[in-house]
Amino acid sequence: MLDRRQFLKLGGATAFATLFGGCDKVQRRLIPFVIPPENYTLGEALWYASVCGQCPAGCGIVVRVSEGRAKKIEGNPLHPVNRGKLCARGQAALQALYHPERLSLPMKLSGPRGSGTYKPVSWEEALSLLMGPLRKAKAEAPPSLLMLTGPMRGHAGLVAGRFMKAFGSPHRIAWEPLGPDAMLAANAAVYGVRDLPEHDLANARYLLSFSGDFLETGISPVHYAREFGRMRGDRETIRGKFVHFGPRLSMTAAAADLFLPCAPGSEGFVALGIAHVMVRDRLTAATAPAGRLADDLSAYTPEAVERKTGVHAHDIVAAAEEFARNQPGLAIAGTGTATGLDGAFQCAAVALLNVLAGNVGKPGGLSFPNRAQAFAKYGPEAGLLAPSPESGYAGMRAALEKMRGGAFRIALLSGATNPAFTLPPSLKFGEALSKVPFVVAFASFLDETTSLADLVLPVPTTLEAWGDDLAPVGHAGAITLCQPVVEPFHDTRSMPDILIAAAKELGGEPAKALPWGSFRECIEKAYGGPGGEMEKALQRGGFFGEATSPRSAARTGSVSLPKAADRPPGGDPKAFPLALHLYPSIALYDGRGANLSWLQEMPDPISTAVWRNWVEVNPKTAAGLGLAEGDGVTVTSPSGKITAHVVFNPGIAPDVAAMPLGQGHTRYGRNANGRGENPVSLLPAGEAYALQATRVALAKTKLSTTLARTANPEGQWKISNLM
Amino acid sequence: MTRKHRFAAWIIGLLPLASLLAACSSAAAETVPQPIAYSHRIHVTDNKLNCRFCHSSANKSQYANLPSVEKCMMCHRSIATDNPEVKKIAQYWKERKPIPWNKVIDLPNHVYFPHKKMVNAGIPCLTCHPGMDQAGTAVQNLEFGMGFCMDCHRKKKVSIDCWTCHY
Repeated sequence: MLDRRQFLKLGGATAFATLFGGCDKVQRRLIPFVIPPENYTLGEALWYASVCGQCPAGCGIVVRVSEGRAKKIEGNPLHPVNRGKLCARGQAALQALYHPERLSLPMKLSGPRGSGTYKPVSWEEALSLLMGPLRKAKAEAPPSLLMLTGPMRGHAGLVAGRFMKAFGSPHRIAWEPLGPDAMLAANAAVYGVRDLPEHDLANARYLLSFSGDFLETGISPVHYAREFGRMRGDRETIRGKFVHFGPRLSMTAAAADLFLPCAPGSEGFVALGIAHVMVRDRLTAATAPAGRLADDLSAYTPEAVERKTGVHAHDIVAAAEEFARNQPGLAIAGTGTATGLDGAFQCAAVALLNVLAGNVGKPGGLSFPNRAQAFAKYGPEAGLLAPSPESGYAGMRAALEKMRGGAFRIALLSGATNPAFTLPPSLKFGEALSKVPFVVAFASFLDETTSLADLVLPVPTTLEAWGDDLAPVGHAGAITLCQPVVEPFHDTRSMPDILIAAAKELGGEPAKALPWGSFRECIEKAYGGPGGEMEKALQRGGFFGEATSPRSAARTGSVSLPKAADRPPGGDPKAFPLALHLYPSIALYDGRGANLSWLQEMPDPISTAVWRNWVEVNPKTAAGLGLAEGDGVTVTSPSGKITAHVVFNPGIAPDVAAMPLGQGHTRYGRNANGRGENPVSLLPAGEAYALQATRVALAKTKLSTTLARTANPEGQWKISNLM
Repeated sequence: MTRKHRFAAWIIGLLPLASLLAACSSAAAETVPQPIAYSHRIHVTDNKLNCRFCHSSANKSQYANLPSVEKCMMCHRSIATDNPEVKKIAQYWKERKPIPWNKVIDLPNHVYFPHKKMVNAGIPCLTCHPGMDQAGTAVQNLEFGMGFCMDCHRKKKVSIDCWTCHY
């Protein structure tokens, strides 16, 4: 018989032989294309220039395409907005392209409305389903069509605008939750221009930022981050100083030389305190209307401002003196300031500092380029191609009322801005939409909004589509061109293409207004077509180098002090002791990036948390509430209640609880669903889309989930030393 | 267990190992089956086609590239359409299916071999692919040992630094 030792020897030899017996030469396939893609060379990559569609900043991108597949996205070095840089959200657009949950076929509702159950149909059937209600809506007076999209810039905006005009329906809403409404109102009041300015950060010597997370999620984070880098390091002897006021230590605040925490919604008062000191101590520019403002500003002494905001009076005086003596300098209001209940006042107070310092229209200050000039040949229609970057909230509220009243027969939805997720639940978007008999969504993914539709039409991602764009800031007059960098993966049609086809079917005015065969033809006709200037522009990424003349900011000489509405956040301070500070997530923005796993797994720069949202509190506040790091809490506001995990942030004001936007999806695919709850549900439905609109209470609760973080919070913050 | 039994047990245990060795030693000489009985001789020797007409990226890329079905059909729409092998190509084209060729010439994963560097330096294709012009479907008549590469690199006085060819 075999003994144990022999058995093991034999067993070992047999296992070895069996295992490595499979190492015969494996037949490997070489499968060439049937028809190779254009300009294809095996093993050699091509870079195609296009535009990023992940947020409204409009950065230029170049995409590395190898064997007909997009492999990597980088910033376009020639593009004036981002000059070769790109943020993580832009890089993650690849995942949207290859996403397994992308819609590949038109789908018709097969269950009750809102159930999200669909069955695939052919494009012919889908288009006939669309045309029936469209024809009926057109026959009615007034035509009962609603178009609810994200911001549409360039010729996509022209197609949508002309379609609606020819259709006879004025109900076109471009919803962008983080649209800078308050800034536009403030700029109109202070500078006399209802637009976003260019901040010449690179040449500034001093920067005051008011709750402005311009390095993370502002209007154009990559543009500002690059300009900020130049302000800090591009000059031989000058390193611009950066002072940040805000309720929370954000990544932007952490990059500042001096971070001075203030109560949320009080940033404007800090600015008025600085203005007071500048006028009192005669630190204003000669051209500034300081004398007329002196009386109005007299109430905002540093001491009074300290009581209101929590910023020490001596810090306000020091900031005012430094700001005035280190010109050119800039004061920037950010999302946190603009999304307060009286955001327009806050932003106007900040803008006033630029006027007092005499920085409007100067290098190192701010200017207002004429955006519409790029599309001047369209005359009155130029506004369709370069629309104002506002949120469209007022239009949205009006439309919701009309929807409830049954004013619309058909609604066309498109864009990533997902109103069912980003609007406060008390506005009851879903309920209002259910009153519209036929809802069509143009989408790449099912989300909370598109899953309310009767018919879902799949659209290409920005990497597969034609288009053009004009960025809101940093554009220097440059029109960016968007081209398909790969063959479309699925049988998709872009919204402008479908509108052009629908207009043809309708005939009459709509057909005349959209005379092109396709959206590509529209773009080619507009830019001279292939072979001409357009071909060169496509290679470079757009038409760069044609600087627009700045518009003069006419009214700065007669500016008056903005009126403080002084509306505190909703909720009784006794029952709801903490002010809620909501901020867009650096990874997920307003939530549109939540279905991309690269963005979900990207650690937040401050909390280092991934895949879930959290509530940030000061460790001392948490100690008072008996909360430890990572504990589950219920966050209760007068409008709603959600749960989250506690994260300590010693750099947050003690009476503030902060939460990032973006998580809490319920119908946005497996990466997004069930990762925390949506903090927007804590907000009341006010007159403005205000993220800093409510107070909350925290109470410890037991959660079955845990918060994953990539850094040990104990090591990061040394909690024991702080408590 | 007698000595005889023990010997038999070892033989049984080592059988798979022996079969492995046999397989490895015969691999180089084996002709790789292909979906179409393509003939390099007819195209290259009889009809004087340049190699790069079909292997079009040999001077542009790391890879020499196999022709697409579209490229085969450029000529075979009208040439030798009755040939049963050409009919197979026409069938692939009709069905818009790629031809699943089997790989013949292989290098280990740790070797970086850019075709374009050799071709652009004027090295004839047959230096590394001897007999291909007389072959039917692709053959590998040469074992690519490191010595083969080094000999040529030394003669041509080009770099023999490890990183030139190895990742």
